[in-house]
Amino acid sequence: MTAFLLELRTEEIPANALPGARRQLADSLSRALTEAGFDGITVRVLSTSRRLVVIVHSLPERQADRTERLTGPPIRIAFAEDGSPTKAAEGFAKKAGVAIDQLETESTDKGDYLAATVVHEGRATTEILSETVPAVLAAMRFPKMMRWGLGQHYFVRPVHGLVALFDDAVVPMEIFGVAAGRKTVGHRVHGADSFDVVSIAGFADTMAERGVLIDPEERRRVLDERAVELAAETGCRVHPDDALVAEHVELVEYPGLLRGSIDEEYLELPREVVITTLRYHQKCLILEHEDGSLAPHFLTVIDRRDDPEGLVRQGNEWVIGARLADARFFFEEDCKRKMEELAGELGRLEFHRVLGSVAAKAERVGELAVALSNQLGLDLDSEVVRRAAHLVKTDLLTNMVVEFPELQGIMGGHYLRLEGADDQVWTAARDHYRPSGFEGEIPESELGRLLGVADRLDTLVGLFGVGEIPSGSKDPLGLRRAAQAVVKILADARWELDLNDAIRTAAAGVGAVVETPASEITEVVHDFMADRVRRYLTDMVEVGSDAADAVMAAGWGQLPELVARARALDAVRTSPQMRALSLAFKRVKNITEDAPEPLVDPGLFETDEERELYAASEVFATRLGECVGARRFDDAFASMGELAEVLDRFFIEVLVMCDDQKLRDNRVALLTGIRREFLTLADLSRLQVDGGNA
Amino acid sequence: MVGLLLLRQNRADVVFFATSVRPCSGAGGTLDLQTLILNLQHFWAEQGCVIQQPLDLEVGAGTMHPETFLRVLGPEPYRVAYVQPSRRPADARYGENPFRLGRHLQLQVILKPSPDDVQNLYLRSLEALGIDPAVHDIRFEEDNWESPTLGAWGVGWQVLLDGMEVTQFTYFQQSGGIELAPISAELTYGLERIAMFLGRKDSIYDIEWGGGVRYGKIRLVDERESSTYGFEVADVEMLRRHLGDWESEAQRCLDHDPPLVIPALEATLKTSHLFNLMDARGAVSVTERVGLISRVRRNAIRAAKAYVAQREELGHPLGICLEEME
Repeated sequence: MTAFLLELRTEEIPANALPGARRQLADSLSRALTEAGFDGITVRVLSTSRRLVVIVHSLPERQADRTERLTGPPIRIAFAEDGSPTKAAEGFAKKAGVAIDQLETESTDKGDYLAATVVHEGRATTEILSETVPAVLAAMRFPKMMRWGLGQHYFVRPVHGLVALFDDAVVPMEIFGVAAGRKTVGHRVHGADSFDVVSIAGFADTMAERGVLIDPEERRRVLDERAVELAAETGCRVHPDDALVAEHVELVEYPGLLRGSIDEEYLELPREVVITTLRYHQKCLILEHEDGSLAPHFLTVIDRRDDPEGLVRQGNEWVIGARLADARFFFEEDCKRKMEELAGELGRLEFHRVLGSVAAKAERVGELAVALSNQLGLDLDSEVVRRAAHLVKTDLLTNMVVEFPELQGIMGGHYLRLEGADDQVWTAARDHYRPSGFEGEIPESELGRLLGVADRLDTLVGLFGVGEIPSGSKDPLGLRRAAQAVVKILADARWELDLNDAIRTAAAGVGAVVETPASEITEVVHDFMADRVRRYLTDMVEVGSDAADAVMAAGWGQLPELVARARALDAVRTSPQMRALSLAFKRVKNITEDAPEPLVDPGLFETDEERELYAASEVFATRLGECVGARRFDDAFASMGELAEVLDRFFIEVLVMCDDQKLRDNRVALLTGIRREFLTLADLSRLQVDGGNA
Repeated sequence: MVGLLLLRQNRADVVFFATSVRPCSGAGGTLDLQTLILNLQHFWAEQGCVIQQPLDLEVGAGTMHPETFLRVLGPEPYRVAYVQPSRRPADARYGENPFRLGRHLQLQVILKPSPDDVQNLYLRSLEALGIDPAVHDIRFEEDNWESPTLGAWGVGWQVLLDGMEVTQFTYFQQSGGIELAPISAELTYGLERIAMFLGRKDSIYDIEWGGGVRYGKIRLVDERESSTYGFEVADVEMLRRHLGDWESEAQRCLDHDPPLVIPALEATLKTSHLFNLMDARGAVSVTERVGLISRVRRNAIRAAKAYVAQREELGHPLGICLEEME
C-alpha cells in the first residue's frame, strides 16, 4: 500500500473559507477515489493560510482487475455444421476481446449460448489520480471566488504551486495553469527557498523545519499552550475567546504568539471599548486579572516563530495605543454633549426609506411600549417610557457608535449613566438590544424588556409592511433574530402578554407610513412569529416537535403559559396513555369535523359507555378549569389521560354513526364537547405515535 | 456612507489612524513622507510602471483616477503608479483628531495583468521603505471591496504590518458592470499612516514631510478650514445646482458622437465630490441619497462602456495582453 501527497500552494486564503474547504476537499476526493474502486483508504486534508495539503493512505499500486461475463449468440448459430465458427461467433469474440478458442458455452433454459469471461485490467493508481485530483480541485467552491492574471483560472486565490507524489514519484497533472512537481517552499520568513519534497512520511516534519505547521490542530495546540504560558508570566489569565483563536489558527502558517502592554490609562475607558478595540479591530486576546478586571496586557498572534528585533511587539503596541487613543478621543468628544440634548437630532438618522427616521421610529416604539405596559400593568410612567424610547437610540449619533457599531446600546448605557440618567433608563439603553435571537440574557429592567419588545415588534411589522421579508437563508436585516428575541423576553420575563394582540397593536402603529393594510401585516407577522415560537419550544424548552405542534394548535399567544403547557405535555407524550389518547382523539376529530355546537341530551344515551364518558367528561371539564386557572398543566394532562380508557371503551362498544339521526347527533355532540375541552390544552392528534402520525 | 464614487468604502482607505513600521535607524533616520513617496515611485518605476501624476480634480480615492477606473477595462496591459490626494469631507475633524484627515494621500499602483509574483513585488516595495520583512510580521488578511455604485468589485486583502494596516491589495474582478479579463492588481498605500507608524508618531501632524518641515505646518490650517467649510459653510443649494449641471454635462459628453470619455468621467467625478460635500453638510436626505447615487452610477457605467468601445475602435494602442503573453 502506498500513500499520495498533494500540496496546492496559493496566496493567502480567507480564514473563514478554510475549515469548509478542508471538509469539501476530503469529501469529494474520498468519494471520487471510492468510485474508482479504492476501498479502505484514508483521506486527510490539512491546510495553512497559504496551502491545502491532502494525504491519502492505503492506496494500492493499481485498481483491482475486474472480470465481466458476456453472453453471446446461441451456439446453434455460432458454429457451422463442420464446427467452424460463423461470423456471429467471430463478431462476439472480437467484441469481447478474446480468441475464438477461449469462448465458453453457457447453458440456459432457452438453450446453450456462447459466453466469454473478460478481464478488465485495473489501471495504475497514478493514472487515476492524475485524472481525479485536478477534477476535484477544479470543482471546489468557496464563498467568494476570483480570477487573476489573464483571467483563465477561477479559484479562491491565485495558485502558485502543486506537489503531487505517489510514493516517491511525481504524479503528472496540471491545474490552474500549474504543473505538478516536487518543488515547494516553506514559510515566507523561515523557509522561503524552494526545495524538493522527497518523502511523504517526512513531509510534515520537513515543513515544520521550514516554519510551517501544516496541521491546524497542531497550530491550535501550540497557540493554546503558549497563551497560558504568556499569561501566567504576568500572573493573569487569558480572557477566553475560542472563536478568535480558531480564526488565528487559519490565518497563519506558523502560530507565533507574543505579549504586549497597554498603557494603564486606557483601562479607564469603558471595558467594552477596550475589548472591542483590541479584539474586533486588532484580533488580540486580552488578559484579565483573577477578579475578571482587564489587565494592561494583550496577546497577539504573529505568523512567525520569533520577534528577533522586538519590532513586531513594538509595532503592535504602537497600533493598539493609537487605536485606544482614537477611541478615547471619541469617548471624550461624546461626553461633551448630553444625550438628552443629542436625542433631538435623531431625525437626521434614517431607519428606513419608507418607515422614516430613527426619531419617527422611536416615537412609534414609545407609544407601543406605553400600550404594552398598560396591558401588562407595569409600574412605569408613560412619559418616562416615551422619552426613554428616544434616549436608548441616541447613542447611534455618538462618535463611538458610528465608529464601532457593535457598541450600540452599551455606549448609550455608559453615556446616560455618566450624565446621571435614571437607573431604569440607562440600563434599558444598555440592554435593549439583548438578547440576540434566543442567545443571551434578557434585559435586566422592566423598561429594558419593554423597549426591547416594542422596538423589535415595530421593526418586524414595519419591514414586513414594506415587503422586506426574509426568505430562505436570506435575512439581511436580522428579522428572525428580532422575532426570536421577542419570544425569549416574553417567556423569560414570564410576561402574560398576548403576543398576537401585541403584533396587531404594533401593525396599527405603522399604519400611517406603510401602504399594506394592518390586517395583512398582522397575519404574515403572526405566521412568522409562530415559526419562531415553535423553534423556541423545540430548541430552548427542548420539547418534542410533535408536542410543540400539539400545544401550539391550542393557542400560543401567551408565552409563559405556552411553555408550561408544552413542558407538561412533553413529559407525558410518550406514555401509553397519551398514545392511546392521541389515536382516540384523532377519531374524535374526524367524527366531529364540521359538527355544530354540542347540545348533549343524557336522556338519549343507550349504553353505559356513553354515560360513563359523559360523566367523565363533565368531571374533566371541571378539573380542567381548575388546573388551567392555576397553571397546573401536569394535572390537566393527567386528568386528560384518565379519559383514555373511557374513550377507548366508548369507541369499542358504541357505534357513533348509527342510523338513528337523533342518537347519532347526540353522540357527535358528546364527542364535540370533549374535543373542545381537549383543544384548550393541545391537539393530541398531532402527537407522533408508533406507526406514523396518528 | 461617505463617498459615492469611492471605490472602497472600508476603513482601509481612511487615514483615520496612525500608522506603520520600522524606525530606520542609522543614516538618514526615519524616512520622511516625501522620501517614502520618492522611494515607492522609484521602486514601481523600476517595475515598469508609468509614474503618473494625481488627477487634478477632487476625488475620494485613487481608484477614481481614470488611470485606474478606465485602464483596468479592456485587454490592454498597463502598469501605473501615482499619488492621489483623496478628499473625504465627512472624515474631516477640524485638525483635532490626531489620526484622521479630510484629505489624505494614497499611493496607488495598478499592475495589469496581475503578475504571478505580485505579492513578492509588493513585499519588495516595503523594503524600499526600509521595512525588512525578515524582522516584521506581514499578513494578508481577507478584505474584499465592492462598489455597487460603480458596478465594481474586487477580491483581496488588507496588508497588516505588525498589526498595522498599511495597504489595500485588490484583484479587480468587475468594473463599470463589465467582467474584467485580464485582471488588474491594485495596491493602495495609505501614506500618512505608514509615515506615522514608521516614525512612531502620536499625531499625523507630527510626521516629517521633508526638508525639515512637519506635516502639521503644511496641512493643519487647511484641515481646519476645510472642515469648517465642509461642515458649516458650503452652500448646499449651489452644490445641488452644480451637481445637476455637471450631471447634464456628463450626459452631454456621453451623448456626443463619438462619446467624449474623459470629459464625461471628469464631469461625473465632480458630481461625486459635490455629493460628498452635500453629504458632509448633512444636506442629503435619506430618500435623496439613493437617487443621487444611482444618477452618478449611471454616468460612471456609461463612461466605462464608452471607454471600452473607444479603445476597441482605436485598435487597442497599448496592445493586448493575451497576444503579448504568447
